[in-house]
Amino acid sequence: MAIVKDSGFKALEKLKSTEPPVFLAPSSISEVARAASQHIFEKLKPYNPKSPFDELLVDGFDAEQIWQQIDMQSQPLLSSLRQEVNRFAKNPEEIRKLGNLALKVSHEDDVDEMDMDGHDSGDDELEANESEGEEKDEEEEEDGDEEEDGDEEDEEEKDGDNEGIEDKFFKIKELEEFLEDGEAEEYGIDYKNNKGVAKRKKQNLRDEEDDDDEEDDDEEEDDEFGAFAGGDDEEADKLGKAKYTDFFGGKKKETKVKWKDLSEDDEAERENQGNEKLSTHEKERLKVQSKIEQMEKTNLDPKHWTMQGEITAAKRPKNSALEVDLDFEHNARPAPVITEEVTASLEDLIKSRIIEARFDDVQRAPSMPTKAKREAKEMDESKSKKGLAEVYEDEYVRTANPAFAPTTFSDELKKEASMLFKNLCLKLDALSHFHFTPKPVIEEMSIQTNVPAIAMEEVAPVAVSDAAMLAPEEIFSGKGDIKDESELTQEERKRRRAKKKRKFKAESAKEPVKKARDATTVAGSEVL
Amino acid sequence: MAESTQMEVETATQTAPLPAKPTFKPLKAHEMSDGKVQFRKISVPPNRYSPLKKAWLDIYTPIYDQMKVDIRMNLKARKVELKTRADTPDISNLQKSADFVHAFMLGFDIPDAISLLRMDELYVESFEIKDVKTLKGEHLSRAIGRLSGKGGKTKFAIENSTKTRIVIADTRIHILGAFTNIKVARSSLCSLIMGSPAGKVYSKLRSVSARLNE
Repeated sequence: MAIVKDSGFKALEKLKSTEPPVFLAPSSISEVARAASQHIFEKLKPYNPKSPFDELLVDGFDAEQIWQQIDMQSQPLLSSLRQEVNRFAKNPEEIRKLGNLALKVSHEDDVDEMDMDGHDSGDDELEANESEGEEKDEEEEEDGDEEEDGDEEDEEEKDGDNEGIEDKFFKIKELEEFLEDGEAEEYGIDYKNNKGVAKRKKQNLRDEEDDDDEEDDDEEEDDEFGAFAGGDDEEADKLGKAKYTDFFGGKKKETKVKWKDLSEDDEAERENQGNEKLSTHEKERLKVQSKIEQMEKTNLDPKHWTMQGEITAAKRPKNSALEVDLDFEHNARPAPVITEEVTASLEDLIKSRIIEARFDDVQRAPSMPTKAKREAKEMDESKSKKGLAEVYEDEYVRTANPAFAPTTFSDELKKEASMLFKNLCLKLDALSHFHFTPKPVIEEMSIQTNVPAIAMEEVAPVAVSDAAMLAPEEIFSGKGDIKDESELTQEERKRRRAKKKRKFKAESAKEPVKKARDATTVAGSEVL
Repeated sequence: MAESTQMEVETATQTAPLPAKPTFKPLKAHEMSDGKVQFRKISVPPNRYSPLKKAWLDIYTPIYDQMKVDIRMNLKARKVELKTRADTPDISNLQKSADFVHAFMLGFDIPDAISLLRMDELYVESFEIKDVKTLKGEHLSRAIGRLSGKGGKTKFAIENSTKTRIVIADTRIHILGAFTNIKVARSSLCSLIMGSPAGKVYSKLRSVSARLNE
């Protein structure tokens, strides 16, 4: 251990002695730094019984990995230290005991502690915000490279005991007081009473040069944590009676910025204080009230432009319509998104159409059936063989006496065409040996229901027709003159009745057996 | 039955029978002019002299036999003279004959000119190219060429479609035919003179002539 200690100590010494720029470039200093951090790690190990590492492993490890090991060691340490500080807060006398102990122990590792201490205090001095300082302290303590930077600077500062920084305008102690006051406002806890303890603590720590410099720092930090943690019963009463002047010695100190914070913090303070005494109902009521106030405030303010009804471009901020999701009717169908599937489907369709040869070509609409097209006279560009007189003569004859009219060129063409067609028909008939067989008439039986024709024929009737599918003869085949009930004359009615009776009698005569029994019974009843 | 009253017939012995209604035959040509004979004299241009000699008999026969008009050629004066006879049925015969001969002199063929004799409604119209448009030198030659077409096909096309006969004599144009037909032919010729291409004229002709022939 001693050997190791010595080497570690030497390493520290060496680090301390090197110039700061050396740390910027990778060099052999890293070995030294690792040795130093190992030494420190060992120092702390006794206070960390649960740590998984017996020693800091540095061979072949990355800076990140070394740091992780250090971090693992320090985390539990922090919590334990916190507890210690709380304990000390409750029982200030124990600190004195500890302080005496520390004095004894410190002699062994003077320089080291000094370094650490100076480093720590230097850190405190450098960093105004002590909550942040916690993390940075750890970093700078445990990372060997950065350590030396701090060490050198801090030693100087420490030696001077704030001579370098402080002057008539800036006092460290006043700064600390100010910070504590601020925290008291925020968190509503008056630990001015603790200040004395803190001060004492700090003085003790500084003067005594503790063995555990980390503990020192942690204690200081935990001091604040303790403050954050909230009031003891003793303090509660004091808080209840706290007044403005308790926090702020006078109105001169405050700046304008502070005012706002103060007012808000006052309210927050009172709320915080009140929350402890109010019932849940009252708490909820307070919440609701605050909500109501906020809503009322928003209602009074001018509305957002989207809620103002008709808005012109001049009345709304520039390009604000782009940010809002506007919803309006698109009259045009949105352009189809061209995806691969769409193109593939189109191409398939095209291919199938080509294979089928089913092109949707535009077909000429059939012209209306009119009278036969007039024979268009051809423009004859040769000298006419007939004289003008003959031309008129022919025309006259054609109109007056068509039979005798000489044939025109078109007539001759027609003649020729008809001759050709006759020849063709002759040849075709010869193929079937001149036996003409007409198409066979296949008589199909189809049931025709007496449904209105309209239902069978058209889907969308242009005109409604009452005609039925079947002809009236098919519906009813009756003979003679069919008359309606009302149209019958008296004689006809008589005739009809007589006919019915005859029919009935004929039927009854056919079946005498069945009806005999009934007849007798009826007869019997009638008699009676 | 009652006695039918008889009309008293007065035997008019005193009154003489009325004279028969006079029946007058239509006046003959020379009678109309109080027995005077009417003449027509048609001068013969030098270019038509030899064609006249060739076709003399074709001219003479229909005029003398059918029109019943006397015709003779005055060689010295280079004129064809026509005279009514006693049996010329109608005074218009003379005029028709004169028109017929005149048409021949203009340049029409005998069969075409004969139609003048046979039909009443046919006329001859003449106009010059310069009436339509003032053309000089090459333009004039080109216009004439346009009118006739290649091998005369444009002229024949117009003739056939409008049932007219056209004679293009240098800068003069003569059209023989019915009144409406003449109009159509004239308009197409004028458009040709003005410079429209033959195809355009054909298309117009086609539509118009179809309407004409209905």
